[in-house]
Amino acid sequence: MDSLDALVAQVQGFSGTDDLLHLFSLLKQSDELLHTHAPRLQYALSSLDPAKHSLGYLYLLEVQSSGTLSQEQSENFLALASTFLNVCIAEQICLAPEKFNMVCRRVKEQALQLQEPLRAILPLQAAIRKLQPSSEFLTAMHADFLQMCLLAKCYKASLSVLEDDIFEIDQKRTGLVPRDFLLYCYYGGMIHIGLKQFGKALEFFQHAITAPATVLNAITIAAYKKFVLVSLIQLGQFHDCFVQVPLFPKYTPPVVQRNLKSCVQDYVDLATSYVTRNIADVKGYITTHEDAFKSDNNLGLARQVIASLYKRNIQRLTQTYLTLSLQDIADNVQLDGPKEAELHILQMIQDGEIFARINQKDGMVSFQEDPEQYNTSAMTMRLNLEIHNIVRLAKKLTSVDEQVSCDQVYLSKIGRDRPRYETEDFDIVPQKMYTNL
Amino acid sequence: MEGGGGETMDEMGGGGGGAGGNRAGGGGGTGAIAEQIDVESYASLYTGHTKVARLHFIADYCNVRSVELEALRMAFEEIKKGENTGLFKECVEKINGRLGPSHTLDQEWIDMVERRAAQRQEKLETELNGYKTNLIKESIRMGYNDLGDFHYGRGDLQHAFKCYVRTRDYCTTSKHIISMCLNVILVSIELGHFVHVSNYVSKADQTPDVQDPVVVAKLKCAAGLAYLESKKYKLAARKFVDTNFELGNNYIDVIAQQDVAVYGGLCALASFDRAELKSKVIDNINFRNFLELMPEVRELIHDFYASRYASCLGYLQKLKPNLLLDIHLYDHVDTLYEQIRHRALIQYTNPFISVDLNTMASAFKTSVAGLEKELAALITENQIQARIDSHNKILYARHADQRNATFQRVLQTGSDLQRETKALLLRANLMRHDFVMKGGPKQQ
Amino acid sequence: MAIPVNGSVAGPSGLSFSAVQEAIKAGLYADLANIIDTLELEVSAAGASKPQDWPYAIQILAHVFNHDLNSARFVWKRTPDAVKQSNPELVAAWKIVQCMWMHDHAGVYAALRAYSWASDVQQVVAAVGEDYSHGMLKLLSTAYSTVSVVDAAAFLGLSENDVVTFTSQQHGWVLDPATKMLTVMPMVAAATKKTDSSQLQNLTEYVFHLEH
Repeated sequence: MDSLDALVAQVQGFSGTDDLLHLFSLLKQSDELLHTHAPRLQYALSSLDPAKHSLGYLYLLEVQSSGTLSQEQSENFLALASTFLNVCIAEQICLAPEKFNMVCRRVKEQALQLQEPLRAILPLQAAIRKLQPSSEFLTAMHADFLQMCLLAKCYKASLSVLEDDIFEIDQKRTGLVPRDFLLYCYYGGMIHIGLKQFGKALEFFQHAITAPATVLNAITIAAYKKFVLVSLIQLGQFHDCFVQVPLFPKYTPPVVQRNLKSCVQDYVDLATSYVTRNIADVKGYITTHEDAFKSDNNLGLARQVIASLYKRNIQRLTQTYLTLSLQDIADNVQLDGPKEAELHILQMIQDGEIFARINQKDGMVSFQEDPEQYNTSAMTMRLNLEIHNIVRLAKKLTSVDEQVSCDQVYLSKIGRDRPRYETEDFDIVPQKMYTNL
Repeated sequence: MEGGGGETMDEMGGGGGGAGGNRAGGGGGTGAIAEQIDVESYASLYTGHTKVARLHFIADYCNVRSVELEALRMAFEEIKKGENTGLFKECVEKINGRLGPSHTLDQEWIDMVERRAAQRQEKLETELNGYKTNLIKESIRMGYNDLGDFHYGRGDLQHAFKCYVRTRDYCTTSKHIISMCLNVILVSIELGHFVHVSNYVSKADQTPDVQDPVVVAKLKCAAGLAYLESKKYKLAARKFVDTNFELGNNYIDVIAQQDVAVYGGLCALASFDRAELKSKVIDNINFRNFLELMPEVRELIHDFYASRYASCLGYLQKLKPNLLLDIHLYDHVDTLYEQIRHRALIQYTNPFISVDLNTMASAFKTSVAGLEKELAALITENQIQARIDSHNKILYARHADQRNATFQRVLQTGSDLQRETKALLLRANLMRHDFVMKGGPKQQ
Repeated sequence: MAIPVNGSVAGPSGLSFSAVQEAIKAGLYADLANIIDTLELEVSAAGASKPQDWPYAIQILAHVFNHDLNSARFVWKRTPDAVKQSNPELVAAWKIVQCMWMHDHAGVYAALRAYSWASDVQQVVAAVGEDYSHGMLKLLSTAYSTVSVVDAAAFLGLSENDVVTFTSQQHGWVLDPATKMLTVMPMVAAATKKTDSSQLQNLTEYVFHLEH
């Protein structure tokens, strides 16, 4: 029996709960051994059960997948990894998150290599669930998973993961690095753009922009560019966060606040043009800067900015007029004629963005108030749900507060060098708001 | 071409437009063509530097040759009474021989004045130095004052300003301080340094025992001008309407009583609400005295208050050409007029549930389409709570549904709260784990 | 979520679309998109390529049925060109999406009829068509007070004569023969306003939370 066979036997023998730590220390020392026997790992793996010997399987799989793989090897690895990620025992693989992350990253890389990002979606989703202590934990696979969904154009497939609220960042348990967090926010924002959930997209980009940083990062800049465009689409404005009303919390890292704007001048200028509400200006600006938007892959989004301005201008009219002719609407919002105005109005009615009725006979539109009376049982249910969510969140906040108050590190920190984290770092929502909850 | 239609007045310097209307006397404008400004009676309201400055201003902006020359002729005569040779040259240049040989560059006069001035300056400076060596406080103050007066007379405002300010260290009584302040204010107004004006007005206001009603009135006017200049029309209005009538002709080297009526009246219309207009302007017995001097302004204020907008706007239109020739007001006329018009529109719609736009348009002497645009702008700015039925040309008041608005706000607040709290929790964890993007080699 | 172990979906015939067929049979068109999308991920994860009998057209139409043109578009985008060229049914389904995307109502109805769909696909197409015309009727009656007969006919996919008969008899719309305009009657949407005792329970919990 040679050393690899011995190791396999140990894996088979020590995968029980009691021996697991012993096996873990053995595996940690067998790196060299595994590399020496790399050609035989395929065979060794076949004698292990990924659903029983998960830790050992992980170590072997990791070594087997290192280096450059041929297409056949790559196919083979993906097949093994896909099964493994699906059936492995969470308790075992959690001992070696870094190894686990490496295998997952190779799943992504190999899927990209084969130009089949679709293939990696379910395996990575399974991997996330295995490694997560709870759905509130971010893992290093989150960003890769979202990236695969984006590349495979399977936006909806990402929702099961993307809809989880992430609160926990724990590099000890998940082997996460800051870059993983930034990419998670960036890709998450992009998927929400694809799904036209612009409000959520803003949240994700804002996380990326406000993430603690000592240097300005390319991901942050890219996130900020999209943030500006989505702000215009969603909010109709972009508060210049560094000059006027702060759109960002004040905890945005100073290095970001100082340096970001000069990197994204085209976008800030577009926002300035947008607030004049002049379609021709905005269109003109986008046309003359088309190359810049194109090279950032933001041209499509920039075009949606134009469409949003038409809508916004029409919405303003509904606040001002009870009736207005289609011709006047067209003149007002710079549309080509009454027919085009009618199409825009119709679309907005269909999407619930305005409430109006078109009178084709007279060429008039009458604008109406939102018929919502907040008295249906559906509305009551929605209110209930919101209150329920807030109560749950408030409870979580209380428990986190208690945890932090008892945290040794925190206590010694505020005792010793209080100024390290200003209290305002944590003070997004005034304390007062919670005393009533 | 003498005088154009009222509308062309909007474009100053547009060429061909005529200025008209008798500024000082009672109105008398007949029809669309305004009378020419009566330069002589206008100028007679003022003395000193402001008289020349105002004449020059009219000459520069009136666009009517006869008026321009008349103004320049009077400026020429006025300047020759003083010692400001620089201004004299400037005026002659403007006249450019158009008033015949009697109004050309009188080099003899210039040489004479400058020689005398040089002598006088030397004398004043020697005296001042003497006082300084002897450390006689009051004499030093007087010395600086005289030197200030001298420079002021010569038109050297910067030096005049410095001398007057210098006297500050040698003031021993409230009276001295007041006089110092008034001198600085006078020079600063002419320099267009209105920050100094407000500073020295408040300095004077803080001085104890200022009881002289004339001084109080002067300070109010100066403060009013400073506010006007910084576009704080409401504050300006309050100063002017509070100016006591004892002002009389005591400040005509800066401002005439008629100006107080015009500046105060227009600023008040543009910025006061109905109640304030009633209590601070219409029922203000003191200010009424000023308004008596400008019957048109008095009438238009009453028209405004009584909702006779057509008449009110008519008076305003008639006054406009003259106001555009006012050295302090010209830059604010359009803004003030716009604000007055907005207030009128808002006030007109306020009591109604529905308003016929045709009726309203004729009350405001405008077209229905034009009125719709104006109203739309005001509704957008949330100054009028109403919506326009463009089809039937009716404006309907809009009553906010408190219940629905509350529900909307609650839902919004709830989702904001959740979003921000989640961001907070995430952030707290990032900080807790020291999760910071750092520079250096790429982190993988 | 069950991922088939590698090999279980090896060939075109090895994959069973029984869940898809069952959903169609049961008329659960709203579930179709999810079922097929999940299947697609599972096949992919197992390393297999899609079998030739993959229900491309149904997958697109299922998203259309859910009013999710965006997802339908993504299905199209991730379909290989070779498949697009060899599958006229898929192309016909895509045509429907395109017309909807452009708000070309008449085009939608034409596209629905333009292809002789396989029988299972036909059921989904019929459901999409019915849903679409119902949606258009709802839109007409909320968005218009008067509408021309020509436009109404295009919106509802009917002839001009039929649209007048249909709307006047079924929905009480009135035709003005001189202008060929229909006066639209708004649909009255019934919304329940009843509350039940569970709301009271919730309320109790909130109050409890506020006080503690």
